[in-house]
Amino acid sequence: MTPQALLLAQTVVSGLLVGLMFSLIAVGLALIYGVMGLVNFAHGDLLMLSMYAAFWLHKLFSLDPLLSLPLCTLLLFLLGITIYRLVVKRILDAPKISQIFATFGLVVFFRNLAHFLWSPDYRLIREPFLRGRLEVFGIYVSIPQLVASIGAVVASGFIYWFVMKTEIGRALRATAEDKEAAALMGINSDRMYALAWGMGAACVGVAGALLSNFYFVFPEVGAIFGLTALMIVVLGGLGSIPGAFTAGIIVGLVQVLGGYFIAPAFKMVVVFLIYLVIVILRPQGLFGKW
Amino acid sequence: MFDRRTFASLLLALALVAGLTGACKPPAPTPTPAPTPVPEVVIGAIYPLSGALAPTGEVLKGGVELAVEIINGKYPDLNLPLAAEEGLPNLGGAKIKVIFGDHEASPEKGMSEAERLITEEKVVALLGCYNSSVTATASEAAERHKIPFVNASSTSPILHTRGFKYFFRTTPHDRTFAENFFDFLKDLKEKKGIEVKTLAIVYEDTLWGADVGKAEKELAEKYGYEVVADIPYEHETAEVTSEVMKLKAANADAVMMASYISDAILYQRTFKELDFNPPGILAMDAGHIDPSFLGTVGADGNYILSREVWALDLAVKKPMVETVNDMFKERVGKDMDGSSARAFTGMLVLADAINRAGSTDPEAIRKALRETDIPGDMIIMPWEGVKFDPETGQNPLGRGIIVQVQDEKYYTVWPFDLASRDIIWPMPTWAER
Amino acid sequence: MVSEKIKHLALQRIPWSAAIILAAVGLLLLTFPFLFTRPFPQHLMIMIFLFAMLGQAWNIVGGYAGQVSLGHAVFFGMGAYTSTVLVSRWGVNPWLGMLVGAVVAVAASIIIGYPCFKLTGPYFVIATIAAGEIVQILFINWEWVGGARGLFVPLLEESLPNFQFHSTKVPYYYIALAMLVLSILVVRWIERSRLGYYLRAIKEDIDAARGLGIDATKYKLIAMAISALLTALGGTFYAQYVLYIDPASVLPLSLSIQVCLIAILGGVATLWGPLIGALILIPMAEFTRVYLGGGGRALHLVVYGALVVLVAVFQPGGLMALVKGLKLPRLAPIGGESKPSPSRIYESTDHETRG
Repeated sequence: MTPQALLLAQTVVSGLLVGLMFSLIAVGLALIYGVMGLVNFAHGDLLMLSMYAAFWLHKLFSLDPLLSLPLCTLLLFLLGITIYRLVVKRILDAPKISQIFATFGLVVFFRNLAHFLWSPDYRLIREPFLRGRLEVFGIYVSIPQLVASIGAVVASGFIYWFVMKTEIGRALRATAEDKEAAALMGINSDRMYALAWGMGAACVGVAGALLSNFYFVFPEVGAIFGLTALMIVVLGGLGSIPGAFTAGIIVGLVQVLGGYFIAPAFKMVVVFLIYLVIVILRPQGLFGKW
Repeated sequence: MFDRRTFASLLLALALVAGLTGACKPPAPTPTPAPTPVPEVVIGAIYPLSGALAPTGEVLKGGVELAVEIINGKYPDLNLPLAAEEGLPNLGGAKIKVIFGDHEASPEKGMSEAERLITEEKVVALLGCYNSSVTATASEAAERHKIPFVNASSTSPILHTRGFKYFFRTTPHDRTFAENFFDFLKDLKEKKGIEVKTLAIVYEDTLWGADVGKAEKELAEKYGYEVVADIPYEHETAEVTSEVMKLKAANADAVMMASYISDAILYQRTFKELDFNPPGILAMDAGHIDPSFLGTVGADGNYILSREVWALDLAVKKPMVETVNDMFKERVGKDMDGSSARAFTGMLVLADAINRAGSTDPEAIRKALRETDIPGDMIIMPWEGVKFDPETGQNPLGRGIIVQVQDEKYYTVWPFDLASRDIIWPMPTWAER
Repeated sequence: MVSEKIKHLALQRIPWSAAIILAAVGLLLLTFPFLFTRPFPQHLMIMIFLFAMLGQAWNIVGGYAGQVSLGHAVFFGMGAYTSTVLVSRWGVNPWLGMLVGAVVAVAASIIIGYPCFKLTGPYFVIATIAAGEIVQILFINWEWVGGARGLFVPLLEESLPNFQFHSTKVPYYYIALAMLVLSILVVRWIERSRLGYYLRAIKEDIDAARGLGIDATKYKLIAMAISALLTALGGTFYAQYVLYIDPASVLPLSLSIQVCLIAILGGVATLWGPLIGALILIPMAEFTRVYLGGGGRALHLVVYGALVVLVAVFQPGGLMALVKGLKLPRLAPIGGESKPSPSRIYESTDHETRG
């Protein structure tokens, strides 16, 4: 391949990997919104907590992130349910903006709690099991990123299957559709909401453990991913898992390609503009509701 | 448990009371300095103590605190101003007390903190603020209140051109540093036979980065280098893939970077991931010399060159550098770097002036600052000394050095006569390491 | 004629007890700078006034019209930049610059609002975030307005025409207070006017409102324009107060969020909500930073975050809802009834959110 074509191919591949990383984070957010119509602004910070969990498990118990992945997932699952029980449950009937307010308060709280407890230093897991890169026809693929991408596909697939094909998944969808009617059929909406939060957070738990292989951990890491995840979820059609997944890939590609061809300083502008264009022309996002 | 109303009304009442009482009383009782003898001299220092730059804020604070320890204590072995006696001799042995303020990287908060420290805590001078955009507003507040402001770490060139009378800058500014880069490149060609013709310039998008980028581009044109890539980027971004791809495409002989800590780390990792192998990377201090940089990237940071203002291996020529560093390491748990060393030096310069003034009157301090003349061997910096230009308040005797990371430590490699190690250029590729 | 109208509007429906309290508070506010002569308390009040005003402005479109915007920093920044560019490049008087800035912001609000108002619920929210971020990035890379390096307001002799004061903050105090009073009057006028009625209808049930022949988009845009105008005034004030602006200080998302929070904490769609919100949030941020933040570990922000969550959980309607108790005059919902709930009056319908 010519050097130009090679660079282009590399850019596309990198964009894809970045995008799948975003997808993984966005899918959990989509689940929460899909079931209860609540936008969790603190989603990025849940990611941050998961990454810290992976880091500390590694530092204190020499547990490789790949091995601590189940643990991180479980921890975040429990955290999601806890947040639901302590905070979200009480604001279910509140005005929408107050709900935003509550999850936003969580953002400030978690972010700075991390700052306070673990200092603002940047942490990185130095020698994870997954490291290095592959070279495929002159294109470099970082192994941790590749695994994260595979993880994204698997996790999204699992969530999708769970929601669409299982009994509980049906119950979740019923609750999302019409809480009262579902209650009449014996579905406990409180339990469903808790489950949605738990699973949504668990997704991010997986993401955090995988990201910690190659990304650094610090209190503000949630900010960077959180906003993008929000946009991706909305772009994909709120509540749609395949939508969030696809939108994540699109955003990743747009960001990297846009940055390369236009100017890196404007790469986010390109992403935002595309969001605006798609959402205005097709307000329900790419996939609408599930 | 509370019911909603009680809770909220309590909160409201509490806030109103807090607001009004806070407005009525000063936050903490401070001893008013009596004419003689003076028990304490109170200085204010404003740094980014929270937020993304907090790691830097921590070491800046550490540098100042170490200086205060030396001033207030007795260290006859150190050839530093005021080390030999306890406290400030001309003020009856008065001790320095520093009150720290957090500006959270916000110019408005910096201004507010400056005013608070001046009017509530009655500080007689200010140190700060690292972020050039915050130093701009904080020093302006100091100017208005006629309080001397010593800027030890902010390097944006505009800061000393505002015609301020109370502003003093010990550190060289980015224009000087950018010149240093080109002096270095010139030396590289003439003394080592390494020729650099094309440059890629990468910089983050706040006041500091933009200024550095501007200076570098102007000087590149002046000295006849071709800028093949001009990449301003959004600081604190999630990924820099497109930036690095562009750098690869540009294929410059040298890459000049200006990044704060998080971006520096991100770039380094991406360089490795995407196998970016420029012959040389010239970083403009900040992120690349922050202790967290090597602390995080480890051996991947090898061979990076950075403009620095200070390096541990200056101890070879000035042994007290090592002593001071050891003291710092004991306190803070890390080695010193350019930021902490400059903050340390700034505090000493200020204290020296206060001592010469023999009084805590800000006007007298200001006058004494103007007359500052500290020789190079009495500071831990690689400068000829500290003096202040009567017009601008800028120290003309400073200069930068260039360090290179070798074996995960910083070594001075330029000026070649100060170098403790030979420069390695071009950098080995990732495959070769 | 006009003064009579204002008096009529202002005195409408205020019971005597409230009027007395209002007068007492008013007196305190007017004499404050002479009771507390140090700059720090004055600075605090100025920031409270500024943010209360921004909250009031936001409330018009976010509270009364129910369109939650997280991009209001755009208008703030445009006000600040317009007047600063005009004064630093061409010596245009900052007061005039303030008016021009307001016009620019109104234009921007229509350009941004028109496409965005096609969206609803979180789609709209995130669109406003996107718009705000785009503007910020553009300004960072636009050399003509100083780009990332920002702009310094040229230091002139202190005077009211120059809109700059160096030796004292007192004039700033009164200007900020005046701006706040202006915003309160504007919001009060909206509340009682036909516009307010339409906005409430739109917020309550946009489809029903449209069914009644209300041009929802037009009124949303009007609300947005007024909101932008007031916000821009605040921007110019800030520029003349701090005398240095850069994209990070006048255009960031965090500013938009803070303004929104102030209105929410205090109580959306209420006249005094933003003022209460600012009265709590601003001193809280300042004091936790002063008392706790200097230790370098962001504990103040932890407290801030926790308080925000607690308030959201325990009193979602904001503090004004608490003050007003549950005795809100409930509007008859347009387009049918669903189960009654005290906070219904603030709620936008769920139809909107699913797009």
